[in-house]
Amino acid sequence: MNAQPSNRSAFLDRVADSLGRPRRTDGVQRPAWKHNVHLEQLADRTPEQLVEILKEQCFFIHTQVIESTPDLLQRTLDDLIAGYGGGPVIRSGDPRFMRYGLSFLGDSVWSAQAGRAENIRLAEAANIALVFADYALAESGTVVLESRPDQGRALHFLPSHYIAVIEWERIVPRSTQAMAEMNRRHEAGGSLGSCINLISGPSNSADIEMQLVVGVHGPLRATYVLI
Amino acid sequence: MKVSIFSTCLVDLMFPGVGRSMVEVLERLGCETDFPASQVCCGQPTYNSGYLEESKQAMINMMVAFEQSDYVVGPSGSCVAMFHESPHIFKGDPTWELKAIALKNKSFEFTQFIVRVLGITDVGARLQGRAAYHRSCHMSRLLGETETPFLLLDRVDGLELAPLANADNCCGFGGTFSVKMPDISQQMADEKSACVVDTGADYLISADMGCLMNIGGRLSRTRQEIKVMHIAEVLNCAADPVKGGTTS
Amino acid sequence: MSLKTDNRAFGARTADGIGDAFMRGAVGSAQDSLKTRRLTAATALGDWEAWRELGQQIRQHTLANLDYYLEQMADNVERRGGHVFFARTKEEASGYILGVVKSKQARKIVKSKSMVTEEIEMNRVLLEAGCEVIESDLGEYILQEDDWDPPSHIVAPALHKNREQIRDVFAAKLNYEGDETPEHLARFARTVLREKFLEAEIGITGCNFAVANLGAINLVTNEGNGDLTAALPPTHIAVMGMERIVPTLEEMEVLDNLLCRSAVGQKLTSYITVMGPREEGDTDGPEEFHLVIVDNGRSDILASEFHEALQCIRCGACLNVCPVYRHIGGHAYGSIYPGPIGAVITPLLGGYDDYKELPYASSLCGACTDVCPVKIPLHQQLVLHRQNIVSQGRTGSVDRIQMKAVGKVLSSPALFAGTLRLANPMSTLLSKHGRIVRGPAPLSGWIGSRDLPQPVKKRDGFRDWYPHREGGGHS
Repeated sequence: MNAQPSNRSAFLDRVADSLGRPRRTDGVQRPAWKHNVHLEQLADRTPEQLVEILKEQCFFIHTQVIESTPDLLQRTLDDLIAGYGGGPVIRSGDPRFMRYGLSFLGDSVWSAQAGRAENIRLAEAANIALVFADYALAESGTVVLESRPDQGRALHFLPSHYIAVIEWERIVPRSTQAMAEMNRRHEAGGSLGSCINLISGPSNSADIEMQLVVGVHGPLRATYVLI
Repeated sequence: MKVSIFSTCLVDLMFPGVGRSMVEVLERLGCETDFPASQVCCGQPTYNSGYLEESKQAMINMMVAFEQSDYVVGPSGSCVAMFHESPHIFKGDPTWELKAIALKNKSFEFTQFIVRVLGITDVGARLQGRAAYHRSCHMSRLLGETETPFLLLDRVDGLELAPLANADNCCGFGGTFSVKMPDISQQMADEKSACVVDTGADYLISADMGCLMNIGGRLSRTRQEIKVMHIAEVLNCAADPVKGGTTS
Repeated sequence: MSLKTDNRAFGARTADGIGDAFMRGAVGSAQDSLKTRRLTAATALGDWEAWRELGQQIRQHTLANLDYYLEQMADNVERRGGHVFFARTKEEASGYILGVVKSKQARKIVKSKSMVTEEIEMNRVLLEAGCEVIESDLGEYILQEDDWDPPSHIVAPALHKNREQIRDVFAAKLNYEGDETPEHLARFARTVLREKFLEAEIGITGCNFAVANLGAINLVTNEGNGDLTAALPPTHIAVMGMERIVPTLEEMEVLDNLLCRSAVGQKLTSYITVMGPREEGDTDGPEEFHLVIVDNGRSDILASEFHEALQCIRCGACLNVCPVYRHIGGHAYGSIYPGPIGAVITPLLGGYDDYKELPYASSLCGACTDVCPVKIPLHQQLVLHRQNIVSQGRTGSVDRIQMKAVGKVLSSPALFAGTLRLANPMSTLLSKHGRIVRGPAPLSGWIGSRDLPQPVKKRDGFRDWYPHREGGGHS
């Protein structure tokens, strides 16, 4: 490994000096925050209202929303895949694919067995990525996903099209609830993926004359399927 | 109600009509005025240039000048905002911090005083034509007053307010900024003037003579036929033409 | 790139900016649209002022306990198998990064946009060592291909370029044969850069916020380039200014909301990612993770009266409302940090010798302070700089003599009375038809472009009128 010293002590002593006090190594508590505006925002909305907010926001972030049902899900996804020009499809190894009885002809699955290089190769070759959201954030039109052995980090970025299935009960008002829940889980010693992705629609850029271009490095188009 | 007039050094030097109008309007509205003669300047020119000690001397002079006043009213959101900043500048000073707070608490910009203290929005003024209103940055952001000029202008008989594009943008005055960075300042004044011209207004109105001197100076240099008026002059355009306030 | 982007004097840089009609048009319309978008996004949150206060409180709490949170962050990164390096200077920071690159015998490096990597001159160090460094943010990539043209905005680095210029750069450097449609240009860059991502041996990113209790970093982008940079290469190096840290995901969430709305008027940008060293069993992500925490002058800022400047979350909202930035553009600041926040922190990081004009490049209109999502008193900090510049005697003797004289007159009733008497007669020589038409600096700066009325005669002045007015007075 790298043999250089990390300078840690000298560096942190200097910071403490700048703050005009000795080093603090424990006993720091977050204060009670002055405001709870983040907790209150949209907190009083019903699930039906949240779905409406999510759908409206998706219009602004260039993301198609399709409402389906567990029974129709296979057909909805098949149609979408066809609409995006067909495979190759790569999906996560999420157990929900099995639970909903979904299968796709010739698809590949991001898997622990495949290994890093093979997973990346398959994702790069794929036209469509297919995943299940861990949470959906109504306000921002966001799907939240944790990395797992069967759901790698690059899965969300390499394929040209992105389809995320959102179960109704996974919809929360905004990022506040999802991040608070994940932080609680972490602080209670539970497991949290090494990477948490909050994805709000397809990739885009306004770097050329401030004109929005949808589809830059990541997916060119995105669709959420609500069930 | 007893009001001490804070004329501002700019009005003293160059724009007596603004001071006259302010006094006439306030007296017509029933105020008794006085003019503490030892007043000079709020201290902003030196403060904003980084000359802290010099600016403190100016501020102290004003605290003393207005010590006996019940209300201090000036025709400039910017100069009054300086009074509002001064407690922060004298923070921890055993002699002057409390006096700075006292001056802050009794100081009002002219339109603010009429609306918020006197509770009046219709002063019986009349001015025929179309006007663009420039909201000065210090009045709206530092003093936090964004409503009172509009409440008063709304009630000026015959006056139509034109919407001004980019109304939030600074006109480029900024006190010493306008002479230390004249090229940048000119660009800002140019854009502001163009927005004013685009409104098709007959009048450009503001509550700060610094901004008006800047935009007006550019309008006049570029030969634009727009009359520049301080809001005190507008409010002094009484229905009675003899008392008309366009005296500057 | 280093902090300094231009060796010419401030006046020359400003003149260039003012003379660049395209740039000014682009900046003006970008400001107008971003201002509206920011306002809409902020208003949608209801009590925006409460959000700002919350953001300010979070930043202030974190900064007041910065040593604690940095140590917690470092412990957690190391516990998860990552490496942490604390760099006191830019040389230490870029030296460490070069060390990692050499230990991997790596040549191909891809990076995402990061202001602090510019500040530590990392690209220069890596390029000199013979590495290929590819900027993957579209705007930064355009600048790189245009022979490392400096960025002019902290969020939209290529704001000063138009589509034709970009097409010409791509055509000359990359044999691009398409037209100037932004979509075509972006799609072309995607294809070129996708290859670079896949073959890179090392990915280097910045860090919007370090999440201390997780030992993870948070990246906020719209393009997804940050994620590809971090996820694909076998080694990931993240570089952060030491102040960019939050206690937990909960505070990160609040600040990300403030950042996205303030920067681009989005509720959240397309990609917000929290990434740490890979866990046992992960199938991708970097095999090796390094976090470089950079001081480079920040601890001095923390100890100074400018410590609130460290609250900055680099949203660029102050640039988007600044009327001075609007007319001179980013390059005129001569720093990778332009606009109001740049005028505050550039002299702190680079010193007054090179940057003493920047604090004066403001009319102190306060638009920046008003819009800052973490309530940095930007225009007041510019005044503080001016006080320091004056007290260090850096303003020049003419300015000092003039301003001290002005100070005397403006605090002395007697001297001011004399001025009111003399101003008109003394200005008569300089005036014509009641207007001042000539005069020395600084007067000349004004009358070069604006008319200026002559001071009134004392007998016509307000003070002489007041006691003699109809109805009398109490003087």
